Amino acid sequence: MAKLITLRDVYKIYGEGLESEVRALDGVSLDIERGEFVAVVGQSGSGKSTMMNVLGCLDIPTRGEYFLDGTDVQELTDKELSRIRNKQIGFIFQQYNLIQSLTVLENVELPLIYQGINADDRYDMAMAALERVGLAGRVKHKPAEMSGGQQQRVAIARAIATKPPIIMADEPTGALDSRTGQEVLKFLQQLNREGSTVILITHDNGIAATARRVVRLQDGKIVEDHGQEVDWL
Amino acid sequence: MNIQQAVKMAWKSIWGKKGRSALTILGIFIGIAAVMTIVSVMEGMKQKTMEQFEAMGSNRITVSIYSWMYDEDGNDISKDYFPDLYDYCNGMKEYVMGITPTGYCNATVSYGTKSTANMQYSWDEMGNPVGDIPPSLYYGSDQYAACNNLTIAKGRDLAQLDIEKYNQVCVMGAQAAKIFFGSANPVNQTVQVNGQNFLVVGVYASRLSEESAGASTLDNFIVFPYTARRVLGGEKPTEFLVKARSSEDMTEAISRLSGFLRGLVDQNTGGYNVYSESQWQQSNEYLTMIGMVLAGIAAISLLVGGIGIMNIMLVTVTERTREIGIRRAIGAQRGSIVAQFLIEAAMLCGIGGIVGIAFGTLGSMALSTLMFQMTIYPSPAVTIGSFSLSVVLGVIFGSYPAVKASKLQPVEALRAE
Repeated sequence: MAKLITLRDVYKIYGEGLESEVRALDGVSLDIERGEFVAVVGQSGSGKSTMMNVLGCLDIPTRGEYFLDGTDVQELTDKELSRIRNKQIGFIFQQYNLIQSLTVLENVELPLIYQGINADDRYDMAMAALERVGLAGRVKHKPAEMSGGQQQRVAIARAIATKPPIIMADEPTGALDSRTGQEVLKFLQQLNREGSTVILITHDNGIAATARRVVRLQDGKIVEDHGQEVDWL
Repeated sequence: MNIQQAVKMAWKSIWGKKGRSALTILGIFIGIAAVMTIVSVMEGMKQKTMEQFEAMGSNRITVSIYSWMYDEDGNDISKDYFPDLYDYCNGMKEYVMGITPTGYCNATVSYGTKSTANMQYSWDEMGNPVGDIPPSLYYGSDQYAACNNLTIAKGRDLAQLDIEKYNQVCVMGAQAAKIFFGSANPVNQTVQVNGQNFLVVGVYASRLSEESAGASTLDNFIVFPYTARRVLGGEKPTEFLVKARSSEDMTEAISRLSGFLRGLVDQNTGGYNVYSESQWQQSNEYLTMIGMVLAGIAAISLLVGGIGIMNIMLVTVTERTREIGIRRAIGAQRGSIVAQFLIEAAMLCGIGGIVGIAFGTLGSMALSTLMFQMTIYPSPAVTIGSFSLSVVLGVIFGSYPAVKASKLQPVEALRAE
């Protein structure tokens, strides 16, 4: 069976050919299997955010191959990429990225709306996701009325509402205090135990230490890639 | 994403920024209201002129005969062609209802203290006359009434004998009778015309309803037998009005009259013209043209309003770049983003259109009441047209911002503050 994610010699180069060219990804090859919990770790400028954008189909590599579940992402149209982001990937961002003008429920329903799911099913699915993160009682609130930890839980609910096989979390604890950060991590571990593939982007070695596999990036290259024992399984 | 969902989203965004939305809508609503009011009022004016021309009647033929025969002192010695024309027309009564000269009489008419020499009048701001307008004085034949769609209300009409006998009589239009006699009966009263006694033998019925603004001028006239020219003066009539029974009869009458005049008028010393009266169409075309120009000017305000919409939508797209990035990241396709902003623009304009229609309806009702004493409601076509126009404006001016929003790269959009 094909690997879930395969990167082959992937480059992301800004200003190619110029003296000031930046190689955010410099020939990266990586395989990720279904059900893995991978931490992509590196300092700022190491290319980890670019990695996340490429893996999340938000950005197209300059060169190289990216197969997602056997599909060559390079050949997909914008529409097909949108569909992959919608169905295959659940995003969790450092800044939560909730839409401030919408309520909690509406934010969580949004990916389901783009799937064209009818209002009743949508409501049920969104409420189920919100119940999982313990926010079913606050669905009418606007994001700004909630704490950072709560907002990140809303974002998680949005990410899991469509039940995607892949969860991509970009510094999900970065804006949170350590206690709420731990809660978010526990939640990601729980999702992984249930079968989701989790890709966690972080600069924090402590957080990376809780992942089952660590991929370290430096100057756009993978400098370390190893599995490790974790206590939460 | 379905349309219903998109409309809901757009409404949320419009409602979320009430003040700004209201200001944006203002541009569209003023434009739509102006266009609607102008179109409706022009329609009303057209109806009004049509009413007036219909009151005077259609199927009218104008005959004009001119000559350049003068004696040594420069006096016109050409023939008076009217008796011949009169006889000829009476010989083809199956086509023609009547014939009359159309000449003005320049004289002073007075009765008691009322005199055309000292009548004072002005126009108020609504275009209605204040005071007494001196009646127009016409020379006519005994068929003047038939040619002008007039019927006798009181007394009798001019008779052929009045003409032959040079009788000093006259018949008054309804408004002229009102000016001189008020509610009293003018029949058998004597008026002074240039100091001569003239007997009022009859009064014509009003051709327009009393409330109609045109009535005060259209029915404000006095007709004298054209032979009264002998005592009242004036040029020999050279223009004649022939009234045909129908438009088909008019064609026949024109060709017969032309043939008759070819034999009657000496082509070396004069000429003639026979033509159907087409003032009605001309004035209609003229009004349509004025209306189009005015509506065009009002449409410029719509254009400005549309540019306002585009401007505000561009600002909205910039402000919501991050939101667009989020939507794209969680799976919104370009089409969904286009639809979202396009529907928002169309809804803004549509709301402006509805408010504009409400004000335009009030405007045309108020303006038409003031100007024509009749209430004009905008026609369904104008209403539906205005609404469609506003929505189409929204789509046209919203498309650039909407497409711009959809072209944002998800990664870059997410980075926006």
